Amino acid sequence: MIGKPGLTLYGLFIVMALLAAAALLLGVAVSSILVLLLVYAALAYSINFITGMIGYVDFGHVLFMAIGSYVLATLVSYYGANPLLGVGLGALLGLVFALGIGLVILRFRGVYFAITTVVLVLAAYNIVLQFPQLGAGGEIIVNLKFQPLATYFTIWTIVLIEIVLTYYVNRSRIGFGIRAIKNNEDAASSIGVSPRTLKLTGYMLGGLFGGAGGAVYAWSISGVTAGPAFDFTFSLLMLAMIIIGGVGTSIGPLLGAVVVYIPSYFLLTTVAQAQPLIIGLLVIIMALFLPDGIVGLLRRSNEHLRLVLE
Amino acid sequence: MPILQASNISKNFGGVQALKDVSFDLPESAVLGLIGPNGSGKSTLLNIIAGLEKPTSGIVKLDSKRIDNLQANRVVGYGLAKTHQIPKPFSNMTARENVAVAVLYGRRNINSPSLALQEAERILSLVGMRSRNDASAGSLTVQEKKRLEFARAIATGASVLLLDEVFAGLSPEELKDSIQLFRKLHEELHFSALVVEHVMRAVLNLSHKVIVLEEGHVIATGTPDEVVHNERVIEAYLGSKKSAA
Amino acid sequence: MVAAELIVTDLAFGLMLGCVFSVVAHGLNIIWGVVKVVNIAHGEFIMLGAYGAYFLNLFAGLTPLETAPVDAAIGLLVGYAFYYAFLHRELRNTETITLQSEMVTLAATFGLSLFISNLAIILFTGNPVGVNYSPGTLQFGYLHVPIAALYVAILSVLIITGTWLFLERTLIGSTIRAYAQDVTATELVGANPAKVASLATALGFAVTMAGGALLTVWIPVGINPLMGALYAPISFVIVVLGGPGKMWGSLVGGLTLGVVIDVVQAFTTVEIAYAAAFLILIPVLVFRPEGLLKR
Repeated sequence: MIGKPGLTLYGLFIVMALLAAAALLLGVAVSSILVLLLVYAALAYSINFITGMIGYVDFGHVLFMAIGSYVLATLVSYYGANPLLGVGLGALLGLVFALGIGLVILRFRGVYFAITTVVLVLAAYNIVLQFPQLGAGGEIIVNLKFQPLATYFTIWTIVLIEIVLTYYVNRSRIGFGIRAIKNNEDAASSIGVSPRTLKLTGYMLGGLFGGAGGAVYAWSISGVTAGPAFDFTFSLLMLAMIIIGGVGTSIGPLLGAVVVYIPSYFLLTTVAQAQPLIIGLLVIIMALFLPDGIVGLLRRSNEHLRLVLE
Repeated sequence: MPILQASNISKNFGGVQALKDVSFDLPESAVLGLIGPNGSGKSTLLNIIAGLEKPTSGIVKLDSKRIDNLQANRVVGYGLAKTHQIPKPFSNMTARENVAVAVLYGRRNINSPSLALQEAERILSLVGMRSRNDASAGSLTVQEKKRLEFARAIATGASVLLLDEVFAGLSPEELKDSIQLFRKLHEELHFSALVVEHVMRAVLNLSHKVIVLEEGHVIATGTPDEVVHNERVIEAYLGSKKSAA
Repeated sequence: MVAAELIVTDLAFGLMLGCVFSVVAHGLNIIWGVVKVVNIAHGEFIMLGAYGAYFLNLFAGLTPLETAPVDAAIGLLVGYAFYYAFLHRELRNTETITLQSEMVTLAATFGLSLFISNLAIILFTGNPVGVNYSPGTLQFGYLHVPIAALYVAILSVLIITGTWLFLERTLIGSTIRAYAQDVTATELVGANPAKVASLATALGFAVTMAGGALLTVWIPVGINPLMGALYAPISFVIVVLGGPGKMWGSLVGGLTLGVVIDVVQAFTTVEIAYAAAFLILIPVLVFRPEGLLKR
């Protein structure tokens, strides 16, 4: 590791502490709004591992979310399991699928990888529709008594773990290898970096936390339905969050989640369709003009910020 | 025992025979020049040794261990690193970070990024790029990028370097500097090197021995002086009297 | 119907469907092959072409066949606009797309894709619509072939052949092909890269939107703002199957996919058929990444 933890990590801890306090002190209304923010953040951190850090654009990341959602929904509604088990297993299954899929598709570069992830989501969606046990297109309802704090602190813990993991990966030897791969995969392997291992690790972390986030999401909205579960809008949201915040950074995903979520929460009450519209536009603008996001912009504008923001 | 040994390397690309039965020895701390007209198979040979391609037949041994069946990144772990003809820097990282990656992932067993960055600084000084430590690699000049390639290769701790046209595209001044730098580094670090070159001045100046490829096979080996006066070699470069007519 | 007759019918329909798929993917192929950019929003332009056919049918009584050229003209303009908005900056000074640029265009076109489809939901509402065009069926023995499908298939092949002729036999076309191989060389012989690239993009969009119009014949109740999400991946798979940049590859890929979908559908459900069609992508990329076409 490079030296002692910097301001960024402390800053993120403070934000998380504030979020925890808000839930405990400000009541259910606030925590039900913030829970979705944390779900978004968790998903943003998860796609950050494979797309932000390693540079492999995972359009199909919603697949892991869907896996987590379905695992939690089926475990709770058919077996009456504890939702925490659903989250744990959702994360595990996300990890396992990422491993299996990654072994095959991570060898594809750039566009080919991106398209393959899309194809996998569509295939998975079509396959899920065949199984009545998985709702066959309908909804699987999760009947749990309302436990806002349990849901909240589950996802809060997940995000905290992701923050710490992201922060330390970025500062560690692995972080150097990952950045090398992102810049030039062939050059990286010519100096000893093993792209296969690192790419797979990133993808698996994405699957693990994507599954965890998806499971909590299903828990918080009390169900899962095939159409929305495999909706590419989620992939767009996840991509948008890291592009807006700053790809690969530790702050980026959380920042992006705040920027994407807060307005959309208020927009939801006006025009429902406006949200993806605006997010889409934002993504276009950021991708073309500010590809390193808000964090990147801040780092470039000021020498002090460059040293402090990670 | 030569530190690098290639035995009967052949490579077929679906009908095209790029290499035919190429063998050579690279003694420790020696510099072996590899020359030949365009299309003679030099790059293919380098790629095979570095693990970027598999030979159709033949064996490559590094320090008596077989490496022809290994992937490029594993070959680095055994002590061999290759530079790229067209430099491939990590553009969005600083020069120092570029070299630090090599330190962390070579065979040096340095796992701490801060130590790696220090070591990277030291190596960049060695190649005369101290002042460009914090410059982004994408903003370096071509010559600087080539030096960076070289610095990265050394930084992996490799004992054998494969240098792919490192002297190409340099002005006479830059060439003189680069040759001097190479000499100095070779004296200090005692690496062994296989140098592919078109720039004759560099090859002849720096190599202990030279092998010449034409159309995939070795047509001459010897000291630089011997090779330069070899009729077969001259013919290969200038074309035979028959075809010139 | 006897098994053999069923198979022949499936095959015939698969081939006709495949022809339309080919032209729908062809625009993507052109742009991918020449400018080396993959437009993630490709599906949305197919959708716009389809809606074009719908509205022109509704208000002007035009058949999809007649709409196709209109859509193509619109596509040319849209293509130029797209080039200058998205690609010009990235391509202006570089020989090839760098990795960073690739991520940028992927992300930007992804954003565009969701922007356009959601805008379409607002403007057109989510209700699926269709074009009324049924000139009847032809009968070849036991084979009942809808004339509309036949016309569309023929027109699709004509379009692909036409673009091929354009690229092979005209000066401008050859310049485009040269650009696809080596941008700098094209500059050196005096062609303006921006003009070449923008023309190729415009051509690609023209074909795409015309394809969207022709597609409506096969989806009598399926024109909806989100249809791009289905036809874009189909197009991607087709282009990969045929090999990006290989003009006839669109036809090879399209026919293969059309036949696979129709035949598999005969044995299982339509969803499994599509799933299978999509998943073909993976073994092809693993074992034959340059596509099914030799050369």
